[in-house]
Amino acid sequence: MSLDLNYRDVSKVFGAGGKNPVEALKKVSFTINPGELFCLLGPSGCGKTTLLRSTAGLESISSGQIFYGGRDMTSIPPFRRNIGMVFQSFALYPHMNIFENVAYGLRVRKTPEPEVRRKVTEVMELVGLTEELKRNPSPAGLSGGQQQRVAIARALVYDPDLLLLDEPLANLDAKLRRYMRAEIRRIQKATNITTIFVTHDQEEAMAVGDRLAVMRRGVVEQIGSSDELYNRPNSAFVANFIGKMNFFKAELTAWDGVEARAKLIGPNFELDVGKDRNHLPQGTAVGSRVLVGARPEQLSVSLRKGEGGMAGKVNIIQHLGQFVRYEVSVDSAISAQPFEVDMPGLVAGIAEGDDVYVTIKKGLASFYLPEEGQSE
Amino acid sequence: MKERNLDSSISQGQQGGFKKFLQKDLTPYLVFLIPMAFLCVFLFWPLVTTFLRAFMKSGNKFDIGALGVSGFKKFFTSALYQRSLKNSFIVGISVTVSSLLIGVPMGYFVARVKIPGKSLLLSLGILPVIMPSFIGAFSWIILLGRQGVLRYFFNIVLAPLGLELPPIYGMFGMIFCMSLTYYPFVFLLSHGAFSSANALLEDAGMLMGASRWRVLRTITFPLVIPSIGAAALLVFIRSIGNFGIPAIIGGDQYVLPTLIYFRVNGFWDLNGASSIAVVNVLITGAVLWFQKYVVSRREYETISASHVEIQQHKHPVLRIIAFLYCLVVLLVSLAPQIVIIVMSFFEKWQGLLPEGFTLANFSKIPKNSPKELLNSLYLSTVATLLTAILGSIIAYITERRKPKGAGILDMAVMAPFILPGTVVSVALLSAFSGKSAIPLGGTYTIIIIAYMVRRTPYVYRSVAASLTQLNPSLEEASTIAGAHWIYTFWRVSVPLILPGIISGSILTFSTLLQELSTTILLYGARTRTVPIQIYGAVADGKMGEASALSVILLIVVFAIVYATNKSKGRDLSAGLKM
Repeated sequence: MSLDLNYRDVSKVFGAGGKNPVEALKKVSFTINPGELFCLLGPSGCGKTTLLRSTAGLESISSGQIFYGGRDMTSIPPFRRNIGMVFQSFALYPHMNIFENVAYGLRVRKTPEPEVRRKVTEVMELVGLTEELKRNPSPAGLSGGQQQRVAIARALVYDPDLLLLDEPLANLDAKLRRYMRAEIRRIQKATNITTIFVTHDQEEAMAVGDRLAVMRRGVVEQIGSSDELYNRPNSAFVANFIGKMNFFKAELTAWDGVEARAKLIGPNFELDVGKDRNHLPQGTAVGSRVLVGARPEQLSVSLRKGEGGMAGKVNIIQHLGQFVRYEVSVDSAISAQPFEVDMPGLVAGIAEGDDVYVTIKKGLASFYLPEEGQSE
Repeated sequence: MKERNLDSSISQGQQGGFKKFLQKDLTPYLVFLIPMAFLCVFLFWPLVTTFLRAFMKSGNKFDIGALGVSGFKKFFTSALYQRSLKNSFIVGISVTVSSLLIGVPMGYFVARVKIPGKSLLLSLGILPVIMPSFIGAFSWIILLGRQGVLRYFFNIVLAPLGLELPPIYGMFGMIFCMSLTYYPFVFLLSHGAFSSANALLEDAGMLMGASRWRVLRTITFPLVIPSIGAAALLVFIRSIGNFGIPAIIGGDQYVLPTLIYFRVNGFWDLNGASSIAVVNVLITGAVLWFQKYVVSRREYETISASHVEIQQHKHPVLRIIAFLYCLVVLLVSLAPQIVIIVMSFFEKWQGLLPEGFTLANFSKIPKNSPKELLNSLYLSTVATLLTAILGSIIAYITERRKPKGAGILDMAVMAPFILPGTVVSVALLSAFSGKSAIPLGGTYTIIIIAYMVRRTPYVYRSVAASLTQLNPSLEEASTIAGAHWIYTFWRVSVPLILPGIISGSILTFSTLLQELSTTILLYGARTRTVPIQIYGAVADGKMGEASALSVILLIVVFAIVYATNKSKGRDLSAGLKM
């Protein structure tokens, strides 16, 4: 039986009452479904680790409540919460062999010896370490990926209600990381334990999670599936954190509450955007400064000026395998940062340093409100 | 369905204030109380009593009604007091300076010049601090005393020139002996700093075109200054608190610790001794303050992520100079132990060579000092065990549980580290001798308590050092797995900090075996220890007997330290740091 997990107005202030109180979590409320593999994603300092540690009870929250399966766990000490956790450093005990490491939680629970053997063998089979268990070395005798598996086995062996993974792949090299994230998803689906996976790597989060929460400055910005977050990010921050988003400065010229129209500054070209792609809050005044966002693959470069084409200069051309990335500087009135434009292949006749035109592909632009203090 | 669940648990949460209190884990607070109570009764109370006594008329009467500054007036009226104070300053400063002059080059040479036998130099280097300092002092009397061997030799050489080498007694003797005893602090700490500095910082300086000397001056030295400053502070505090060396070699020159002994032993003037103790502590406090606010401002966080080997000098001339330098320093500082060993097999040594080979010095020990041997063993063992427990618990609490007031606890535990041994004794006598509420005068208990108070910092620092190296997530993983913190402490923390506990305890045990400055004021007829016996034998001029007893101490201490260094991963020096 998997549990759901519910946060209600969870706040955490570090150094409350001191000179520099830090609000790590600001009234966070959301629900994680039973059996879900849920990713907490955000830049460092966004509060994702604090939220995870508060869920475990390793950090006490300043206000709000946390429910497991409807039970208020807010004031329950961590050792009574029945959760499994995998740490970034794996935190394997160097003074115990891997069997004892995995059996630790069972020994704490005073599980009878035959049961311990059965469960450890079972869980080691699940994580694919049957051979290593026979040798039973100390953790130092294992590779990084194997240590990771032991850490997962140790967290799962006592059938926790909840599995917490704190940047579990950060200590592995790039290739192993890609492999282990698939493994983690396989193991999680096999056990069906409600799981939180914390990471700062958006690619990892999108690959692993059923759903993701993007956090920033102690606030959950958006929750959704990888697809939703990538295709319908509801803020400029999420748009640019989940993949790359190019932003153009524009002015809102019309809005009937559903459809919006904005005029790009510079080329004097007007775009219409439908409900799905319009992320402006209700009541945004006509004439306001807005941002038009387009992902690299939603732009194109060419030598000829088409409709709405913006003049620019190619800085760098990078061949990245499946596509070619053109970095194009445009007039700083449109965007201070160069655009990234992904083309399916090399465009004949364009070289670094050439003058080109950048066009937004029809119907693919989105509208966002510029953020305070953000240089777009 | 889910909604209803949530609502019911919310209402439970609101009415469950008392339940919440019961669910709260109170054990950390209980465990926190034990060391706190110990420190209150055996450190704060004695210190407060001492402080009050310092303002009472000389004598032993504890009279809270008649406070005054007569005890301190002596520092302005008595020539003996004034000279003792002046001597303490001169000794403290001279020993610090000469220890730096001896230790820093040695640290640099061993860290940065390619010379043979480095690990041997390092393990022998720590010996002078660990070996009993008063033994060093009396062996220098054998060498340079009135009938000293070396003095005899020098005087034959110097006689044609009409010169004569004075005997070593007095200020020079004290400074000389203490420098040779305490320079290892500077040597070991500066060696640590020179060898752990990030090589890339120096490489970067060199690549930017700086000469070797410029790199040394502008990069290397500024980075090691904090370590050297810490070592200098340690040497100063130790040297103005040392009792054994001035007592044996000081002659008619008193310093504050010997003056305290003189007041207590000669006049049973606890109040007068307390005044001197307060002055002694004030000096230490002032120096500590200076270190904290002036020197430690220059501390840098050196992040050394890479494992780049530091380039060592290979110039042959430098290698020879460095090696000879280290060899000479080591030989001179270890000469006392060699002399003692030789002396222990002879009747007397007053000319160039020792005379009258004998084993009687040793064979007399079981007859003359059986009680002393047993007492030393018993007191050191019991005190070490208790200190290990107390120090580990306090270290664990302050490092891991971080209760409110952890900072105060840390300061309280470390306070005895800077208190001279005689001051601790005076404080304990002030509180527990005579008609005290807890009369402990002349008992084993008072000595054990004094040992514990004085040595807890060793274990505490040693354990705290291993705790900081222990990733907290190891303990968190245990908590998450469902273990109560006591279970976590025994199954995870203790096994992993065991090296720290052991090295702290070994340091405690080996230094307690040779403890003199505290014991000298606390012992009674029943509780005499080996160092007291040695001190008495030296005073009576029985050099042979004193040497034989010293040799036994040396062998035991050396065996313990050697065995510790042999087993890998144990670092005794952690307990010696502040």
